[in-house]
Amino acid sequence: MGWLTPEEWGAVRLSLEVALRSVAMGLPPAILAAWLLARARFPGRPLLDALVHLPLVMPPVVVGWLLLVTFGVRGPIGAVLNEWFGVRLVFTTEGASLATAVMAFPLIVRAVRLSLESVDTGLEAAARTLGAGPLDRFATITLPLMAPGILAGGITAFAAGLGEFGAVITFASNIPGETQTLPLAIYAATQTPGGEATAARLALVSFALAVGGLLLAEAVARRMWRLLGRAAPS
Amino acid sequence: MRTRRSLAPLAVALLLGLAPAGLRAQGAEPLTVFAAASLQDALRALAEAWQQRGHAAPRFSFASSSALARQIEQGAPADLFMSADEQWMDYVAQRDLIAPETRSSPLGNSLVLIAPADRARPVALTRTTDLAALLGPNGRLVTGDPAHVPVGRYAQAALEWMGQWQAIGPRLARADNVRAALLLVERGEAPYGIVYSTDAAASQAVRVVGTFPAESHPPVSYPFAVTRRAAGNAEARALLSFLTGAEAEPVWRRFGFIVSR
Amino acid sequence: MLEVALSHAFPGFALEAEFAAPGGVTALFGPSGCGKSTILAAVAGLLRPREGRIALDGAVLLDTARGISVPAERRRCGVVFQDARLFPHLSVETNLRYGLRRAPRGAEGPGFEAVVALLGIGHLLRRRPLGLSGGERQRVALGRALLARPRLLLMDEPLAALDAARRAEVLPFLARLRDAAGLPILYVTHALDEVDALADTLVLLEAGRVAAAGPVEALSARTDLPQLSRRRDAGALLACTVLAHDAARGLTRLGFPGGELVTPLRPEPAGARLRVRLRARDVAVAVTEPHGLSVHNILPCRLEGMSEAGPQEVFLRLGLGPTTLLARVTRDTPSRLGLAPGMALWALVKSVAFDRAAAAGEAEPATPLPATPVLEPAP
Repeated sequence: MGWLTPEEWGAVRLSLEVALRSVAMGLPPAILAAWLLARARFPGRPLLDALVHLPLVMPPVVVGWLLLVTFGVRGPIGAVLNEWFGVRLVFTTEGASLATAVMAFPLIVRAVRLSLESVDTGLEAAARTLGAGPLDRFATITLPLMAPGILAGGITAFAAGLGEFGAVITFASNIPGETQTLPLAIYAATQTPGGEATAARLALVSFALAVGGLLLAEAVARRMWRLLGRAAPS
Repeated sequence: MRTRRSLAPLAVALLLGLAPAGLRAQGAEPLTVFAAASLQDALRALAEAWQQRGHAAPRFSFASSSALARQIEQGAPADLFMSADEQWMDYVAQRDLIAPETRSSPLGNSLVLIAPADRARPVALTRTTDLAALLGPNGRLVTGDPAHVPVGRYAQAALEWMGQWQAIGPRLARADNVRAALLLVERGEAPYGIVYSTDAAASQAVRVVGTFPAESHPPVSYPFAVTRRAAGNAEARALLSFLTGAEAEPVWRRFGFIVSR
Repeated sequence: MLEVALSHAFPGFALEAEFAAPGGVTALFGPSGCGKSTILAAVAGLLRPREGRIALDGAVLLDTARGISVPAERRRCGVVFQDARLFPHLSVETNLRYGLRRAPRGAEGPGFEAVVALLGIGHLLRRRPLGLSGGERQRVALGRALLARPRLLLMDEPLAALDAARRAEVLPFLARLRDAAGLPILYVTHALDEVDALADTLVLLEAGRVAAAGPVEALSARTDLPQLSRRRDAGALLACTVLAHDAARGLTRLGFPGGELVTPLRPEPAGARLRVRLRARDVAVAVTEPHGLSVHNILPCRLEGMSEAGPQEVFLRLGLGPTTLLARVTRDTPSRLGLAPGMALWALVKSVAFDRAAAAGEAEPATPLPATPVLEPAP
């Protein structure tokens, strides 16, 4: 326990919290987007595809700036959030989570879409003949069969979220206890004279968290494949 | 025979890509200037004047002085370093990364409290002002990170002078550099920010609501120097002379800097 | 009564089919690619044909002219797919109950335990589909479709993906299901032995069109349907009843409308109904009544007609009362024997021609089955 200062532990806890929240925020819209891109036919589909992948190709600082312009108190969505719900995102953990979720979004959509495309539509047809309507089919057949892919997407988002920096510092700023995640803390330490040791310690913790998360994900994914009654892809 | 022919363009491309970058003569290469973020508008104007004198346009990298100093330490190819406080110049000087005889501090600046333009009411900045109350229960004060960004250090000193550091310290939003702090106040995310007067002047979306008294913080000083790696570069020294010389003075003043000679 | 009329086009292939399925098992028979699975998909509501009308007992499921199309999930057509399509993430029991849970209130149909007993899958309930054999999976699929309380059962080549041993295992269960469930069944297949075993009505499909439709016995005796008559095992299908056994001599007497047959001893009890295929190539004819032959079955008949059966062969259509038999003889036989339509002949059929494969009908499972229970509608 004496290895990290209380402030540093705060950064670790915050990183975990932000990464988890970003996954929770990002998964439902990602499932919707993946379904639209994989199954629906509508005129703007290539446009949606491009939009989903924007955070992947833009500099994170630009994404952070766009978030500021949209979700800040003077932005179109942020103003509504502030006036109607009293919710502010800049300088808050929620804001850091949102920035992280946006940056990880393309990765989650890809993973979910792949898993959706691997679901046998023949099974869905069978469910139809047994009387299941569209939502029923999605909930009882499609979604459970997508579960390993969704899990993979969630873990990827979690791991990516642990490392997100540019968007978070631009949108949510650097506030110890609120938005100073591990990457921000490491960066601050590298800027401070004599902070190299701190930076190294924190980087090690960050690495351990990511590796731990990935190993856990592997184990859970294997379990899920077995539960599904299928052989896991090697 | 056919394979050899199709390999040739590939080989040329590889060679071009791998060829050492320094193929051009030393003097003709554009200079790289690492400068604190708060200097960017004035420096761009000065760069134009420099070009009109027939020189190549310098390349600029604007960031917080701390980031720049660290980069120079790691071997970044800067020719000139223009810091926003003495401490970071000392940092690179101690590591023998500048030509010490070229160091001078020609510029000063004042520290101001800003607010978004549509919510600006004057605030007296004295030892008795309850700035924390003005922030409200949820508001944050935005400035550079006092741990390493110069404007943050000055801000902390000024707040300590006001006796407000205890109250406001935990409610600080630490920006990475002074321009990022400015952006957050422009967007109305924070009710107040502490930046240099030169930065406030550059933005339409904020107003200066108070100026910190000179005695509340160490004087804001901008040391300039030529780096060790450019010590033999006549062009670099010439640029430094220009930036610290008589011709540059009106430009600095125009942007709000205090010029001391 | 299921009425189907539809037309649909695929690249390089046009389907134009119209038929009525009167109840019992209607087999849609034809080679691969003739459109039978398409018709099934259209009836199930999984495919929307370009044009068509499908009605079950007067209730319209599809009528493109009037813009009516009942969605698949409301048609109440139970479907058994070639690849079973059991839900891998659910147990066998949950699979079975999937349709049952979604059946409309008041829908009549068999109870869970009755179906499980009928198909012999009680020991599989806790298991997952992944570990089941092909035959077990199809039996579960049958149960699942039946438990959904459908008005019509659709089976898309349910035995095609199984090897010979598995098919022999599952076929009897299909027969039991047919007898016990009392539902009309539309059965797609390209295997004639399945048709022999299960079908009442046969719809012959060729290149997207209905070549012939009618009771399966009647169609089997026709020589103008190349899909049937070109087969090496072409011949009349007879609906027989077991009259008596003679265990001492190892023989069984079967009766059919128009005559009797003697076969090697069969396991079915007296009174059991049976369908037997008399391969035309196993039938010889004699112009005079023969004596001293080993052949048990010497049946008086009348030559009704002759037609080509291939380059060197000829079909003889032999009438025995209401039944028609086919005999396949060499091309020179009619002239050699001086055959003419209307002549009285004797048909000669060796008893051993009826091996187990040639006789088809009610179950011959490996283990003895209890009497098929009548499935009472569950409350």
